Amino acid sequence: MGVLRELTTSIPRGEICGILGANGAGKTTAMRLVMGLIKPKKGSITVLGDTLRRNNHDRIGYMPQLNALYQELSIEENVHFFARMYGMSGRQERNVAVDKAISLVELNDRRRNSVANLSGGMRQRVSLAVALVHSPELLVLDEPTVGLDPVLRRSFWDHFSSLSDNGITLFISSHTMDDANHCDRLIFLQEGHIVADGSPEELRAAAGAERATLEDAFLHFVLKVIP
Amino acid sequence: MNFDRTIAISNRVIRQVTKDHRSLALIIVAPVLVMSLVGFSLVDQEDILNRIAPALLGVFVLFFTFLLTGVSFLRERSQGTLERLNITPVSRADLLVGYLFGFLLFAMLQSAVILGYTVLVLPVLYQGAIWHVFLVLVLLTIVAVSLGILVSTFAKNEFQVVQFIPIIIVPQIFLTGVIVPVESMPWVLEKISIVFPLRYAVEMLVGIMLEGRSLVDFGTEIIVLAGFGIVFLIGASLTVRR
Repeated sequence: MGVLRELTTSIPRGEICGILGANGAGKTTAMRLVMGLIKPKKGSITVLGDTLRRNNHDRIGYMPQLNALYQELSIEENVHFFARMYGMSGRQERNVAVDKAISLVELNDRRRNSVANLSGGMRQRVSLAVALVHSPELLVLDEPTVGLDPVLRRSFWDHFSSLSDNGITLFISSHTMDDANHCDRLIFLQEGHIVADGSPEELRAAAGAERATLEDAFLHFVLKVIP
Repeated sequence: MNFDRTIAISNRVIRQVTKDHRSLALIIVAPVLVMSLVGFSLVDQEDILNRIAPALLGVFVLFFTFLLTGVSFLRERSQGTLERLNITPVSRADLLVGYLFGFLLFAMLQSAVILGYTVLVLPVLYQGAIWHVFLVLVLLTIVAVSLGILVSTFAKNEFQVVQFIPIIIVPQIFLTGVIVPVESMPWVLEKISIVFPLRYAVEMLVGIMLEGRSLVDFGTEIIVLAGFGIVFLIGASLTVRR
């Protein structure tokens, strides 16, 4: 706490909003604030029209930086368990949702494998399946592509784009410009402050130089606040 | 409280432990080994054995349930699953009762094995109603699970949970009538033992198993042990989401 200062922004429904910054810039703190895991010292946060997170817990999906899975349990046991935690008590409804989530992350053939025996990338996929199983309206993903190979990273972004096309809002933290290129909107964070907020095109244009990349834009805004 | 979530949590706890074959073996085999050592080393001293065996039943339930709950809950915190649970609609009560049901099953399974082994294999005297023994052990399990959750809040790793054993469990073994009857201890130690839940469980277990007494004779002990359970449950419920 105390990492973020004067963070004011709003994210429209259906948008993919990326929050980018160096390590320690406050990205995870911003995610945890949105999820209601920590409370702001000042100000307020409204998520899906409600200031109280407990009123809309089942409308939000969260993928933390840690995989946060039960290592001894299989992929489907993990996804089933969290589906029940989100209130999916009917077995038939839950089976359909779990199958859909596991298929989406392409782990059908390994669904009975225990999480402890999976590679890092596969665990990331299970973690995403857990965040998606209850069909949330908002997905908060904390560095979801860290440690993924380029093929898997592309596959994740294809999923994110299709979710966004279906009206789901995505709030994603990252520190790679490859991720930034896939977002509709970007927030650049530096030392707890928003240093830029706009579409990738707007931020590239604001960086000044011709044919500026997002990395150029990021460095342009970040270096402005570093003496 | 949501019944389906509570059952899902206890099912998950049970699956986690049963998939960890070493832990499962430890819960069952270790107490039987200790009981064998005690039984065969005291084979010529029936009076002492008859007194220690019921008390050890309580010790095993307290020790293993406390350790398993403490470590399980610490893992829940350190691997981030508790944080993930905290953003679902799950309540404190769902978590507490779910854990309680899960570990209650192992505590009862362990007790049944030890009790069966003690009575059938070792020459230990057994009187009294068996369900009275199990009722005492249920109360003791509630104490152990709540204490395990409470202690896991103050530990940063599994090693630190283990460090609580000499502070919380070992004094109870020495000061609650397991080895020496409470009445035979120095006055100061006897007074200290009042704050240990195991004292009341041991008094009831010895009374039921050795003297064939009924739970009706232990109104005060039941109230005090249940009181400990309630206080620790309240403490655990206040820290369970941290």
